Amino acid sequence: MLARAPRALPLAALLVAGRGLAAQAVRASEYDVKAVFLFNFAQFVEWPAEAFPEADTPLVIGVLGDDPFGRVLDQTVGDERLGGRRFQIRRYHSVDEIKTCHILFVSRPEGDRPQSVLAGLKNRPILTVSDADGFAERGGMIRFVTDRSRIRLQLNLAATEAAHLTISSKLLRVAEIITRPGP
Amino acid sequence: MADPRTVAPATSILLTLGLICFAEPGFAQQPDSSASAEALKKLSIEQLMNLEVTSVSRRPERLAQAASAIQVITQQDIRRSGASSLPEALRLVTNLQVAQVNSRDWAISARGFNSTTANKLLVLIDGRTVYTPLYSGVFWDVQDVPLGDVDRIEVISGPGATLWGANAVNGVINVITKRARETQGLVVSGGGGTELRGFGTTRYGGALGSHVNYRIYGKGWAREPSVLPGGQDATDDWHMEQAGFRLDWDASTINQVTMQGDLYNGRISQATAGDIAVSGGNVVAKWSHTVSANSAVTAQLYYDRTNRNIPGTFGEDLDIYDVDLQHATRLGARHDVVWGLGYRLINDRVANSALLAFLPPHVTRQWFTGFVQDEIALIPDRLHVALGTKVEHNDYTGYEIQPSGRVSWRLSPSGTLWAAVARALRTPSRIDRELFFPGQPPYLIAGGPGFHSEEELAYELGYRHQRGALALSVATFYSRYHGLRSVEQVNPPTPSPAVIANGQYGESYGAEVTADYLITKGWRVRAGHTELRIHIWPNPGSTDTTRGASESQTPDRQFFLFSSLDLPAHLRLDAGMRAIDDITRQQVPGYAELNAKLTWQPTPQLDLSLVGQNLLHDRHAEFGAPATRREIERGVYGLVEWRF
Repeated sequence: MLARAPRALPLAALLVAGRGLAAQAVRASEYDVKAVFLFNFAQFVEWPAEAFPEADTPLVIGVLGDDPFGRVLDQTVGDERLGGRRFQIRRYHSVDEIKTCHILFVSRPEGDRPQSVLAGLKNRPILTVSDADGFAERGGMIRFVTDRSRIRLQLNLAATEAAHLTISSKLLRVAEIITRPGP
Repeated sequence: MADPRTVAPATSILLTLGLICFAEPGFAQQPDSSASAEALKKLSIEQLMNLEVTSVSRRPERLAQAASAIQVITQQDIRRSGASSLPEALRLVTNLQVAQVNSRDWAISARGFNSTTANKLLVLIDGRTVYTPLYSGVFWDVQDVPLGDVDRIEVISGPGATLWGANAVNGVINVITKRARETQGLVVSGGGGTELRGFGTTRYGGALGSHVNYRIYGKGWAREPSVLPGGQDATDDWHMEQAGFRLDWDASTINQVTMQGDLYNGRISQATAGDIAVSGGNVVAKWSHTVSANSAVTAQLYYDRTNRNIPGTFGEDLDIYDVDLQHATRLGARHDVVWGLGYRLINDRVANSALLAFLPPHVTRQWFTGFVQDEIALIPDRLHVALGTKVEHNDYTGYEIQPSGRVSWRLSPSGTLWAAVARALRTPSRIDRELFFPGQPPYLIAGGPGFHSEEELAYELGYRHQRGALALSVATFYSRYHGLRSVEQVNPPTPSPAVIANGQYGESYGAEVTADYLITKGWRVRAGHTELRIHIWPNPGSTDTTRGASESQTPDRQFFLFSSLDLPAHLRLDAGMRAIDDITRQQVPGYAELNAKLTWQPTPQLDLSLVGQNLLHDRHAEFGAPATRREIERGVYGLVEWRF
């Protein structure tokens, strides 16, 4: 091609305001963070022995209903192991499909009416988590509360005890304990 | 430049009008400050609870989208592709037909009917319709955004006229930029190469108190010319400068305000006359108000100005004023209703030339629109139906109605079957009624005073599957068109004079298949294939001899394959291959091309990249009749980006 005389040089307009480059808060996408919470819960919960019938039973994180995580949950868990156990992500359409499961994220709208879901689980040793309103008050175990763009945890101890799950003190320290009994 | 005395007879005038007039003959959330899954996993639970979270891109989808052939490309897709302009980014969307015509012109459409003046696709940038009332299409050379600030681009192939606008006959492109709070800090990027001669972008985002965030940007670039089929310089090199801002104010938990705007200016070389000058700007104000948990209102107001002077051809000064109001509300347990009202006023002043004339040169036109759609949960979360219609009043054809019905049936948590029927219209624009050629009588070709809307009836059936690492979508369609634009000979078989009319009908059918698979955590592969057939026939009594030549310049099939690979040592390698069938009408041969990008990220703040575009051939043609064709050369450029 013929060379042409350069005309206007591209302008990287210098719009830099005079203010210093103050450190900014790190931000993350809501469900990326919630996926990491679910992954971390595995370290802070002790399941009864019958939850892992085989030595190589994977630690199953399930999603009931519409999956708000997309692929993030799979990406978060990746090839991670906990005490030699692999992680596995499963997706369920109804409670009846849930066989081996350790952490269950109940998505909306199922989480908005948790009674039927929880009744279906019959106090099996499954850590139930949701971001639905009133989930922990209504018998769910952990609820993500988004408050001023930050995620808080509510924990229903009566529900975890009924399912024979032991919650680590690290998690108890940071969670808001909901004492109201289930419905 | 085409001399009016030598221009082909009316048979191909419409085909080339676009060129004569307007083309001169001739990391998913990785960028910026958001954190990756790996980084998040290193945080303690207390630190996680202190993170500020955003929830922008994973909103529950509305049925109108769920039951349509929608594709979404994310910031990460754009970033990793090495795309340097909006049209290049649209090459990532496999249900679009995207062809580069020359250095600055693009023919972009969905489901065919492609041309440089394609008129059946609606394009929105942050809710602002990017539209020229000259031909109901898009001047792609002046549509730009800082690509690093784009959150996602949603593309619907198929009619979207009920919820969107009157151009949404065969598709909608919706470019959505990030909120200002997601683009905080300073980013400087720049580089240059063989085709993209040089470019630079600076963006700064800051906060004013705890409720107001803003960003400002400036960017500019210069591009080399395309080449003639013999390889000579086609003298269409150009450069643009653009600046803009966005401000988001969270006035309260129930009121949010956004203000944004852009200004641009550019010059484009012409072979036979002075440079084309383009400039313009826009300002948009949006207010959204949450009435209750089940009810929300949004209002939007914008002003858009476009100036374009093509020496020897025509000049245009266009002002667009637009106001929209929408209300979404839940009625009872099963009905989600959305309705809206809109008003648009344009003031278009054209300076005519000896070559062509828009008569009258100065027009003021207005549009009134209203729409309502009810989404009904027949079986909640399983079977949903959406029924709606748009009613529009325009100055050319009066009232027009565009209804649609959609069904989505969730077969399993991962699979959704959907179907849709819609009527969509392409309402008249100035080119149909007010364009005369040449600029003085006797006219060889004249606008059609009776030109009415082109009508489409579309039937669609699709299936979408998403489970874990695999996302799969199949969309099939059959459409009938009536009143397609024709060039009628007044004294047949004498080719001229001729007048524009609605003398053709046609049908199109085909399928769009896409698959997206995460093979391992660091390797993602995406593929898309589109089959498309269009048949156009003259109405009984029509004297048109173009046989749809200006409407069906579309390849029968196209195939895309993209790969995104994370390598050790902070390297990333991306490649995108496309294979496009020939455009029979224009004798454009089929071609395959490859783009690739290698990025090294030595520190989280710095990216060094090398991008290759159209690597397989020294040059190739993508669009255009032989007489006016330009070819696109292989391009290589380097890119440096600092994030402070």
